[in-house]
Amino acid sequence: MRRRPGISGLQTAAATRDQYRSLGENVAKIRTDLMMEQLSIFRSQLEEFARKHKNDIRKSPAFRAQFHSMCAKIGVDPLASNKGFWAELLGIGDFYYELGVQIVNVCLSTRPHNGGLIDLEELRGLLSKQRRSSRDPITDDDCLRAISKLKALGSGFEVFSVGNRKLVRSVPTELNKDHNQILEIAQARGYVTSEEVQVSLMWHSGRVIDTLETLMKEGLAMVDDGHPDGIRRFWFPCVGSTSGAVEAGSELSS
Amino acid sequence: MDDFKFPYFFNYPPYFTLQPVRDTREKQIQLWKELILKYCKHHKVFLINLEEEFPLFSNTSIDRRLTYESREVFLGALVSEGRAEWMDKGHKKCLILWRRIQDWADLILEFVHEYGLEEGVTTLEEIRTGDETQGTELAGIDRVVLVKALKLLEQRGKAAIFKGTSADDEGVKFSI
Repeated sequence: MRRRPGISGLQTAAATRDQYRSLGENVAKIRTDLMMEQLSIFRSQLEEFARKHKNDIRKSPAFRAQFHSMCAKIGVDPLASNKGFWAELLGIGDFYYELGVQIVNVCLSTRPHNGGLIDLEELRGLLSKQRRSSRDPITDDDCLRAISKLKALGSGFEVFSVGNRKLVRSVPTELNKDHNQILEIAQARGYVTSEEVQVSLMWHSGRVIDTLETLMKEGLAMVDDGHPDGIRRFWFPCVGSTSGAVEAGSELSS
Repeated sequence: MDDFKFPYFFNYPPYFTLQPVRDTREKQIQLWKELILKYCKHHKVFLINLEEEFPLFSNTSIDRRLTYESREVFLGALVSEGRAEWMDKGHKKCLILWRRIQDWADLILEFVHEYGLEEGVTTLEEIRTGDETQGTELAGIDRVVLVKALKLLEQRGKAAIFKGTSADDEGVKFSI
């Protein structure tokens, strides 16, 4: 006949559980200590590395990119906080905050022209021009990092791909697939005609006109009726290069 | 002399077509207004005749030119800001005030003080082409603009315009 569980049986079970728990806590503590020790070794080595290569990281874009990919692999974000030891050691946070501010400036100052959409390459060109005198070279990668930090401000900065190009958006416009496809066609020459869109995307004319009209309302497209062939063209300042036009302007005047 | 620097938009074709979307059109008009004033100031152009070719209104390198309608819109925008005046009802000739009449009047007063003409007499031709104004901002001032500026001074009791001996030779007496 089986004995029914008595008070002493319950007590024994509770005691066993306690023992297990304290053993588990011990193991966890040992592990944590070990982890802390490893972390502090890792940290000091990383610090030493950073100190040693501080100048390389600031000066050389290639080195900077490698440093970032190394950090990403071990799950460290050197830009996560400006107060962290990274910022103190490298001033690398400042580098990106400064770049971020410059990006905002360029996006705002070109907005009347391009409706708040700018080609990443052009953005970098304008930034380099602005920084030319004083600074070290910057890459697309640097710009993307700085922009990703701007997102924290909730200011609607976003990077998206159109064809093989990247565009930076500084206004909260929702572009759908239709818009993107037209932008992609426009990349070839800076403009499209509605017939060209109809043919290459196999859309009927209503869809083409709707999409083009939305793009115009958003300030992203401009009409051009001045071509001798009389066919209306839709220009997209965000894919045609402003800096190119600026250069052409200075040629004209020289 | 021809070191005028054209802005980027002068080489971007759609800026030569009047934009249908209001916001875009307003930006476009603003840019053209500034360009017209800058260009006319640089080349000392006082009068634009809409029926004649005007270098600023076409860009051969991109094969674009402003239509009559868009010229009238851009100049009309300057008129409504007091930076230009239509010379006729048909809006064919436009006087460009890249310097406001008030500012021209101030320049004349400066000139008067410099040459001690506070109670003196001179002719309009003297102001426009005389040795005294040679090399100053007043040299070559448009006759219509000059008369407008002097009339402003007249209203303030600082000058009086009078007819000279010949029909086209008007004089002015300052009393400052």
